[in-house]
Amino acid sequence: MFDQNIEGAELFALPFGDIVPFFSVYTATLAAFVVVFILISAFDRPERQLNIVFGGDAYYAKEIKESDTRFSRFMAIACGCATLGAVVTGDVFNFTLFAVLVGITNIAIVASAGNRHVLNAAFQYGIVAMIATVPLFGSAAIILATTGTLSIWTLAGMGAVPLLAKALLILGVMGEGIAPLYIGKAEIIRAQGAPFVLMIHFSSLLLFLRVTEIVLVI
Amino acid sequence: MIIRKLSGILSNFTNLSRVYGVLVIIVILAGMVSIPSLDYHGDRLYPKFIDRDSPLDPYDRGGIPFGTTTVAAEYPENSPYLGYITAYLTPLSFALAGATQHMGTTIVAHPGGIIDEILYATRGLDTVVETTILFVGFAVAAYLFRRRENE
Amino acid sequence: MIDTFHTGMIAASLCIIIAFFSFLKETDDLHRLLLTDLASVMALFLIALVGTDLAEALILPGLVVTISKLMALAEIYLVKEGLQKNSPSRILDIEVLQSAPAILASILVIYGIILSGFSGGAVAGLGVIFYLVCKGHQERFELIETVSGYAWVAWIAAFFIILIFPSQWFLAVMIAGGAILIKVTAKLSLIGTMRGESDV
Repeated sequence: MFDQNIEGAELFALPFGDIVPFFSVYTATLAAFVVVFILISAFDRPERQLNIVFGGDAYYAKEIKESDTRFSRFMAIACGCATLGAVVTGDVFNFTLFAVLVGITNIAIVASAGNRHVLNAAFQYGIVAMIATVPLFGSAAIILATTGTLSIWTLAGMGAVPLLAKALLILGVMGEGIAPLYIGKAEIIRAQGAPFVLMIHFSSLLLFLRVTEIVLVI
Repeated sequence: MIIRKLSGILSNFTNLSRVYGVLVIIVILAGMVSIPSLDYHGDRLYPKFIDRDSPLDPYDRGGIPFGTTTVAAEYPENSPYLGYITAYLTPLSFALAGATQHMGTTIVAHPGGIIDEILYATRGLDTVVETTILFVGFAVAAYLFRRRENE
Repeated sequence: MIDTFHTGMIAASLCIIIAFFSFLKETDDLHRLLLTDLASVMALFLIALVGTDLAEALILPGLVVTISKLMALAEIYLVKEGLQKNSPSRILDIEVLQSAPAILASILVIYGIILSGFSGGAVAGLGVIFYLVCKGHQERFELIETVSGYAWVAWIAAFFIILIFPSQWFLAVMIAGGAILIKVTAKLSLIGTMRGESDV
């Protein structure tokens, strides 16, 4: 696998039974980024949202409950950990599971928002994230049925994975991260807690970088 | 004109699932052409074989309890005790297997057996992620539910 | 020559197309939420087509993912639509439920504990739901939540025991079996009672 251009040298592999997560130069770089962002969301103080009254000088600070902030922070850290897992895992099905975990933690980060628009967008996004499990698990199933393995180590460089499975994998990650369909996210970023909401964008970006690597390698 | 119409659809987030549905349908339709050319090699890992006479049917994978059993794992070298869980039966399920021919229908419910071997041992990381997803989904529901109770 | 796998694949593709076509037609949010469940059955379809023991083990995560997302989304839907306040007085007003002996519930719980594992947890959870539905509930929400959290930790501990000390596999299998029993019981009983009725 490490003869592929995109991967770089092998740094470290962790044998967990059939699932062997690995750090190549590429995935280790991504993982380092994720760790930085987990630390940011763990130690950051969220902003206080200001509402400005149109046509006047008046503004007021929104009241955000301590418990809401704590919930969002927990989910942002969970989202970071899920992204870390998705970035280093060495197994296709495991990657799809981590992608689903990223999708659900993304909704969870904004779930405590009181704003109706934010919740509406989060709900629509959640529906897409849920039906995205079909192409995700579907691609893993097709890969397993046609090649007889799920391990990226074995699949690397074989070129045996059908195009349909690759397309479904990318489509599934698109659904979990809503990467090209940003319109749902434009509404979502109105939720409180800027550093946590940032995690939503960051995780989908990294999911995309990882799935590009997987599709190129298998 | 078409672009204006398209961007009108894309800019409304209630259309998100609709847009996504169209994308999936397009990919599946295009992919259906290639289905006859796919070869089936799925039985390389953990193949299923059925012995109708065994009380553990359809989960009888042989092996002696507390001894080695051959299991077609991806990386057998990573699991030194591979097969031990597959062959293990709890005392209750052992008694049931001796008494009836239909133990296999409930073996998934007891500790031990091939499914537990895959779920707990060789593909344990999958199960960890899966339970974490359940945990997160549950945490969201419980948090919103309790907040509503307190209000 | 088209064999079973190909027939199955083509059938599954048709089902997926029909399922996703429903998303094009449906505009109501609640109906869409229900349709997601229909769509995610298609994922299980595709996994089941592989037809090995591994596929059977992969179906479980697929199923669980759907349930948990549905749970979270349904609760978000309630908040979004502002439906939290108007809770129904009593949903299941059936006479049998009031007169049913509670021993049925305890039989279910005990049988679930004997079964242990995932389906054991489901059976035991059913018993708990049955009891709560019959007798009304003064639920101790936080307690059950905490218990299920610890069960999750026990599960993770079992996973690390298997990977780091493989010789202790027996201990790990028992911990995992017990933990999933408690976890599924707790979650099922909570889902069954999260209706926002009377209570603490």
